[in-house]
Amino acid sequence: MQKSIKKIFGRTEFYVFALLVVLSVLIQFRSGGQFYTANNLVDIASALIVPGIFAVGTFMVIVSGGFDVSFPALASLSVYATTKFMLNIDYSGGILLPLLMVIAIGALLGAFNGFFVGYLNLNAMIVTLGASSVFKGIMQGALNSKQLAVIPEGMRAFGTSALFTATNSQSGLTSRMPMAFLVFVAVVILAWFLLNRTYFGRGIYALGGNPASAKAAGFNVKRTKFIMFILVGMISAVAGFIRVCMMQQCHPTNMLGMEMNIIAGVVLGGAAITGGAGTLLGCILGTLLIVMVENSMILLGVPTTWKSVFVGALIVIGTGVSALQVLRANRSASRARTMTKEGAK
Amino acid sequence: MKKLIALLLAATMVFSMAACSSGETAKDDTQDTSNTGDTTGTGETTGGEDWEIVVVPKDSSNPWFVRMNVGVEEYAEETGVNCYQKGTDQIDATLQAQLVQDLIAQDVDAICVVPVDIQSLDPILKEAKDAGIVVITHEGADLQNVDYDIEAFSNAGYGQFIMDNLAAAMGEEGVYTTMVASLTNGSHNEWADAAVEYQKTAYPNMTLLEAQPRVESNDNGDTAYNVAKELFKTYPELKGIMGTSSFDAPGVARAIQELGLRDKAFTTGTGMPADNAALLKDGVIKSLTLWDPAEAGKAMVSLALKVLNGEEVAAPLNLGIEGYDAMTFREGSTTVLEGQGWITIDAENVDSFGF
Repeated sequence: MQKSIKKIFGRTEFYVFALLVVLSVLIQFRSGGQFYTANNLVDIASALIVPGIFAVGTFMVIVSGGFDVSFPALASLSVYATTKFMLNIDYSGGILLPLLMVIAIGALLGAFNGFFVGYLNLNAMIVTLGASSVFKGIMQGALNSKQLAVIPEGMRAFGTSALFTATNSQSGLTSRMPMAFLVFVAVVILAWFLLNRTYFGRGIYALGGNPASAKAAGFNVKRTKFIMFILVGMISAVAGFIRVCMMQQCHPTNMLGMEMNIIAGVVLGGAAITGGAGTLLGCILGTLLIVMVENSMILLGVPTTWKSVFVGALIVIGTGVSALQVLRANRSASRARTMTKEGAK
Repeated sequence: MKKLIALLLAATMVFSMAACSSGETAKDDTQDTSNTGDTTGTGETTGGEDWEIVVVPKDSSNPWFVRMNVGVEEYAEETGVNCYQKGTDQIDATLQAQLVQDLIAQDVDAICVVPVDIQSLDPILKEAKDAGIVVITHEGADLQNVDYDIEAFSNAGYGQFIMDNLAAAMGEEGVYTTMVASLTNGSHNEWADAAVEYQKTAYPNMTLLEAQPRVESNDNGDTAYNVAKELFKTYPELKGIMGTSSFDAPGVARAIQELGLRDKAFTTGTGMPADNAALLKDGVIKSLTLWDPAEAGKAMVSLALKVLNGEEVAAPLNLGIEGYDAMTFREGSTTVLEGQGWITIDAENVDSFGF
């Protein structure tokens, strides 16, 4: 019993969760009881969908020991190409065909990353930095990107369809829980299963911990990286697709720049930046914290002039706590090692 | 060791992100040092029709600047002047500054720029002027290092014009607030300031939301939408949001629709006709305000040409473009020229603009 309590206190997820609770109480207090209202919680959940899906992909790459900074560009290009194509052929059907197309393009672009990172063994951050430029360039040059104010009806219908509508009994304000939330849940469940219950998923953790040992243990390091980047491409493309559906317009560049907050959220959630460690739960909690902070500054009564300072400071504090946790874990691990060594003598 | 490096890397990233989002002021230091001193005195004299005039928008995918490009291309076709638009693929003060530096290095004859961030661009424009390049700006009245800045109208006049539209929608009463792309954006804040001043005398039954008198949309429809939702939740008395950037009013309108506040809350502001046709016809937005970016683009090039040819620039200035045919200097300024180019867009006329 004592041991399990100690285990909980030793986990980064616990601290992020505690931070979430403290912050939400603070917002509740400062906003005159507006945080814990049905419609506000739905708003936060709705704002979490896109960053949350992105975070799942980012988490996989970080666990494998690399950084992916190309996913906003990858998502933008995939969804822009899809939307433009669907508009050009006057597509009037449902969501399935555009969704398949966007996933296919995402997979293709992910394979581009995966080839260089996996088979040529180049640094993931450098490759994806370059890939990001390439993807933007294709959008700009080949597709001559500009904002698409109208999106196909099927996509629009999906983006605006609601699972349920939450009403604030006091103010009468209503908020829609988008159907897309189910996609987020599905992506998280699939990723969890993949990472924790399959040989491939354990391979991702293994090669993040130590590629040489992973190879010695029988994992195909190159292929694992390659396939992982394809998956990440697919996941990112889905996130971009949902964003466009929900916004009911396709803006080619306004997802760019999101990568920083997403990576911060994942690291905040306890994923080791050196790879090999971290949990999907932490990743989601960390992202939720960032989303909550970004969308509660007015509720919290922070003046616009101080908003970025506040958000930045919270990220620094949050990641600081996570980093301390990692340090502490490393120290106790090395202590354990010395103890076993001494024991062996 | 590897872990330490990784930790440092992550820390750098976190800090750079904080720096990026907390205003753009930190950026000018880095740009200053890289490109000073060696650019003076290279302006060569070229004759007549060979001028190369480049228009730099905030970015090149925003429909606003796509439309500006149409104007610039039209002008080139009609007059045979070598002018073209060149933009970065996203709104980013650093990228824009780099682009302008590249153009200085290429030694073009005139740079017409719509600045993203005034503070960080000003020193770069000084380099351009030092290099003998004519600098014309649009939506950048506070810039120091320019030959002339063109405004489609006086910022005060346009701010009042938006306020008239908002007041009409709100029935001239209730609490409102203002939204700008960023607190460092020159024109947006001048419109909002003027609108608020004007409201005090013209619409005494309206009040500004003191707790959040100005919010930011970052020129992003999704941000405008989320900020508006938060505002309406926190301040139930809020009845109107005055938008300035072309992403503000459409984003706010989505929030109004979703929150069930149609006909209880209102918004107006700058907006492109084609993008907002559905919202205007639906009635969630009553009217939007605008000037034609294509004409503004033409006016910049036309003025640059005048300066290059050594023609006198005196008020009232006629640039031969509608809305820019009787331009006057802003009070107390010798560089800022103002026209009379504003228009209202509503459900009736929205389809008549062709863009």
